[in-house]
This record gives sequence, structure tokens and C-alpha cells, in this order.
Amino acid sequence: MAKLYVKAVPPADLNRNTEWFTYPGVWTTYILILFFSWILVLSVFGCSPGIAWTIVNLAHFAVTYHFFHWKKGTPFAEDQGIYNRLTWWEQVDNGKQLTRNRKFLTVVPLVLYLIASHTTDYQNPMLLFNTVAVIVLVVAKFPHMHKVRIFGINADK
Amino acid sequence: MASAVVNFLNATLDWMTFASDGPSARAVVFGVHIGGHLFIEVFLLVVILFLLSQKSYKPPKRPLTNKEIDELCDEWVPEPLIPSVNKELQYEPPVLESAAGPHTIINGKEVVNFASANYLGFIGHPKLLDSCSSALAKYGVGSCGPRGFYGTIDVHLDCEARIAKFLGTPESILYSYGLSTMFSAIPAFSKKGDIIVADEGVHWGIQNGLYLSRSTVVYFKHNDMDALRETLENITSKYKKTKNLRRYIVVEAVYQNSGQIAPLDEIIKLKEKYRFRVLLDESNSLGVLGSSGRGLTEHCGVPVEKIDIITAAMGHALATEGGFCTGSTRVIDHQRLSSSGYVFSASLPPYLASAAITAIDVLEENPNLIKKLKKNIAFLRKGLSKIPGITIASNPESPIVYLRLEKSRGSVKDDLHLLENIAERVLNEESVFVVVSKRSTLDKCRLPVGIRLFVSAGHSESDLLKASESLKRVVASVLGGHN
Repeated sequence: MAKLYVKAVPPADLNRNTEWFTYPGVWTTYILILFFSWILVLSVFGCSPGIAWTIVNLAHFAVTYHFFHWKKGTPFAEDQGIYNRLTWWEQVDNGKQLTRNRKFLTVVPLVLYLIASHTTDYQNPMLLFNTVAVIVLVVAKFPHMHKVRIFGINADK
Repeated sequence: MASAVVNFLNATLDWMTFASDGPSARAVVFGVHIGGHLFIEVFLLVVILFLLSQKSYKPPKRPLTNKEIDELCDEWVPEPLIPSVNKELQYEPPVLESAAGPHTIINGKEVVNFASANYLGFIGHPKLLDSCSSALAKYGVGSCGPRGFYGTIDVHLDCEARIAKFLGTPESILYSYGLSTMFSAIPAFSKKGDIIVADEGVHWGIQNGLYLSRSTVVYFKHNDMDALRETLENITSKYKKTKNLRRYIVVEAVYQNSGQIAPLDEIIKLKEKYRFRVLLDESNSLGVLGSSGRGLTEHCGVPVEKIDIITAAMGHALATEGGFCTGSTRVIDHQRLSSSGYVFSASLPPYLASAAITAIDVLEENPNLIKKLKKNIAFLRKGLSKIPGITIASNPESPIVYLRLEKSRGSVKDDLHLLENIAERVLNEESVFVVVSKRSTLDKCRLPVGIRLFVSAGHSESDLLKASESLKRVVASVLGGHN
């Protein structure tokens, strides 16, 4: 029988703060940003590829930790404050854990760590910085860390 | 899963220690020399594959145990929908048995009415009555719908044009209920994240508008321009870096809760210095202040276009119902879709709109009414000065003559009780009808309560003399034992 009705699928994510990560091409853009950042660092600082990867890894750590795991709420008023206590990571996919996007965002720091460590031949002190960054980022993304505030750090007053 | 995390951490630490100690250290596995790098890389690849193989799930909400449920039910005390009504604060208002003109009938007895804001004496005016009768014959009683549906009658458009012409503004917009004018206009413009600086003495309708707007509200000391300047200075420096911030000052021209008149010329100077917008409520100043009754702008010599948003209720001087907002075309057009009181309420009954038009016509034809009103205000104030125990708190030009206790009894409840006693005796023994301030539990105004006398151009000198003499006698009798 022919289709008589349009089957409207409800939007997956109503949160304007996180729905952009469901757009097509976000993963590719994310990876390309990292790659071109690496090229930019290589050009500007004229350092070795390994040091450049370390800089990219640490910058990625700083930026994503702040915006994904520290900053709370949304910049939009329409949601009337229901996300004021949640970090971006806790808002993604409406809190569903181990989704494809969450896996992608967890794999990226690991791969960056592998690349940075391999290209610096596992030498200190780059190894230490890279290791600390990847551990903090990956632990923060564990499903068990959902809405957890260790020692009340960054908890709501 | 927790054990997997612990194992992951332990393994990672081991490998970190191993790699740090000897970056090029080598291990022997089945007789084959393998570098430490390979272990870390293989391990991380295994972790990645393991992660990718996991299924997604919604974190379950931990169900409460039966014991926890019982504890929560025992602890729960519902918040009352309304605060408990204090028996002492219950009050039976007198019931009018005729129109609320300068004289009215209560309990079968004629009394002088100072309880109605009938400033120009238009209640019962023959021209207004004729105008209402004609409109009823032509349009019927109600408008049958909101303005955006079938509720627009040509007399609404005429009334809006007439008001704009009278006040000298490009456009105006009608509301069907005077009280809702301000608490629809404020939320139409100010939103969450915006800032409103309001006088602490504004009436409840404005307070409700501030609440509904969900903006940040800062109150300044009543009619104190130094406090306002200080507040604007603090806000300007505090929010210096915030962009897209709308900032408003909300004031009443004549404050319903005190009879004070806002110094509009000073407010405009502050507005322009600190770049705020001004919302001005002219309910008690329209038809009263200024030589031709155009309100506080005329009274203070301020051009009307300096005020961003002007609102007024038409139930006061104009002796009709409803309200209007007037201002620039953009201000008015914005409210046609964004103001709840306009969009969702049935519109003003046509005969009330035509009465407003006629009232403005009569006012323009009879400037003597305003002079008479001013004379009556001055006469009544002269008669009420020097009453022991009572002081006049209102502005000399205010049509609301506001009497306040010189010494408070210590609480609003006791003050209200005492003032109601005075008003009741003035009504019963002297046939003069006055009102005491009403403060509902929702009202945030903290100004002292008092007795309000609404002066009308329709009062005669003997009425005013009777009011002042009777108040003098009753206050002396009631307060004589207390002071």
C-alpha cells in the first residue's frame, strides 16, 4: 500500500547548544581543524612535527576541557535554565551514554595522544604532558562520571 | 565496569612508569625483543576498539527504595497555595448604591466620595453618556474577540488616533483592561537577561509586569534621584562588558502608593547619561498635570518623544475603562504581536472607546476643569494641614492627597487597623468616604500605608471643607488617646 502519511521523526536533539554536533560533516570538520592546526603550528613555530603535535594535543585538551567539561548551561534563554547545572558533555545526546558522537569525542584524544607520543619518540617532558592531558580528558568522558563532581570541584554553589 | 576502569588505570600507570624509566627499554616476549612503544600503542588500540564496541544506553535513574519513599512522604509538607488569611486583616469594603461620582450613596445615605479617581468629574457627564448610548446602539456591547481576530472596531482605531493626537505622539495602542496595560507592556519589551531599575513605590500592576518579564529587577529608593543615579552608575559599571543588554527605568508619574510626583526632567537627564530607556505610567497624571492635561511631560516641560514608552489607564481622569500605551511607531507596532494583554484578551468594548474619545474632546474644550481640580487640591491640602498625628505625604500638585501617620504603631497590620478605624468612623459619622491603602500579600511595596483622598474637579468647596473638618474631628478622637 502506498504511503498515506508523512512519518515525521521527532528531532533528536532540541538543545541548541548540542544539536550542532549532530549535523553532517561535524566529524570531518573536527578532524580537519586539528590537522590544519598542526600545519599552522608547524608553519608558525618552525618546530619539529612531534612538538607541533604536542602543542595541538595540549591546545585541544585545554579548549575541549573548558567548553565540554567545565562550562555549564547554555547561552540561550529559551530552555529556561534546565541545563544550568549540566556541562556540555552531560547535555550531549540528552545524556545518553556511549553514543557514536561520545565515542568519537573519546577516541580523538586517544588518537592525538598516540600520534603525539609516537612522533616525539616517547621522550619526556612531552610524554608527561601528553599523558596527563589524555588521562584527564578520557576520565572526564567515562559514563560513570556523568554528573559527578569530584571533591565538589565545579559544583553548583 | 568499575573493575575495568581500575584495571585500565593500573595498566596505564604501569606502562607510564615503564616508559618513563627507560624510553628505549626492551622486553623479551617469547624470545622476541619488542620495544615499549609497541605495548602502549597496542594497548590503546585495544582500548579504542573496546570503546567502539560498547552499546549506548540511557543512564538509569536509581529507583528509590520503599524506605526512602516513606521517608520523603513523611517529610513532605505542601506549600499553601495562598498565605493564611489573618482574621484581623479581613475587611468588608463599603458597597456603593449609585454611580461613583463626587457624591454617592452607601447604606442608603448620601456621602461625599473621595474614594474614586474621578479627577475631572466625568462620571455621569451627559456628553459621555450620550456617546455610550450611541455606541451601544451602533456596535452592541462587547467586541466579541481579540484585536487580531474579529475584535477590531473602527472606533478602536479612532480612539488610538485620538489619543496619539492628544498626547503628540506618532501612534498608540489600546488595552482592554487598565491594570493589565503596564504588566503587558513591560514583558513585551524586557526579557530574561535584561535589567529594569524601578522605583520601590510602584503599584502592584507594575510589579507584576516586572515579575512576568523575568528580567533582573533593581529597586531604588522612592522618588530619590540620588539613589537612582547611584543605582544606574552601579549597573552601568557592573554590566559594562555585557552585550545585547536592554536597560529600563520604570517610574510612575503620580505614584498611587504615595501621591508623589516623579521629577521627570531629572530622570531624562539620567536616562540620557547612562543610556537607559524609560517606561512611564501616567495613569494618575493624564488629564491632571500640565496646563492642558497631557500629563507629566507637559508638567515638567519635557518633550514627549524623550520618553520611550508611556502607559496610562483610562479609568481615572477619562472615566472609562481600559488603558493605552503610546510612543514611537516601532514601540507600538511591537506590542501588536508581543503584548499578551493586546493579543490574547478580548478588545475594549466599543462604547468605552467612544467614551474615551468624547472624554478627551470634553477635556480639550474645557481647560477650566484642570484649573478647578488644581484649586480643589490646594484647598483640601490647606484644610488637612496641621492635623495632629497625621501628615500629608503627597506632592502639592498630586490629585491623590495621601495622609500618613506621623508615628507608626510599629507594624503595617496595626497601622492598617488604625487607619481603617478612622475611615470607618469618617464614613459612618460624617458621611465622607475615603480609602485606606490596600496591600495584598503579593505587593512588594514597603512604603508606609495611609489614607488616600482622590480629589475631583466635581467636588464643591463645601464638600472639601466637610472632608477636612470631619477628618480633623475623627483623627483627634481616635488618636487622642494614643499620642
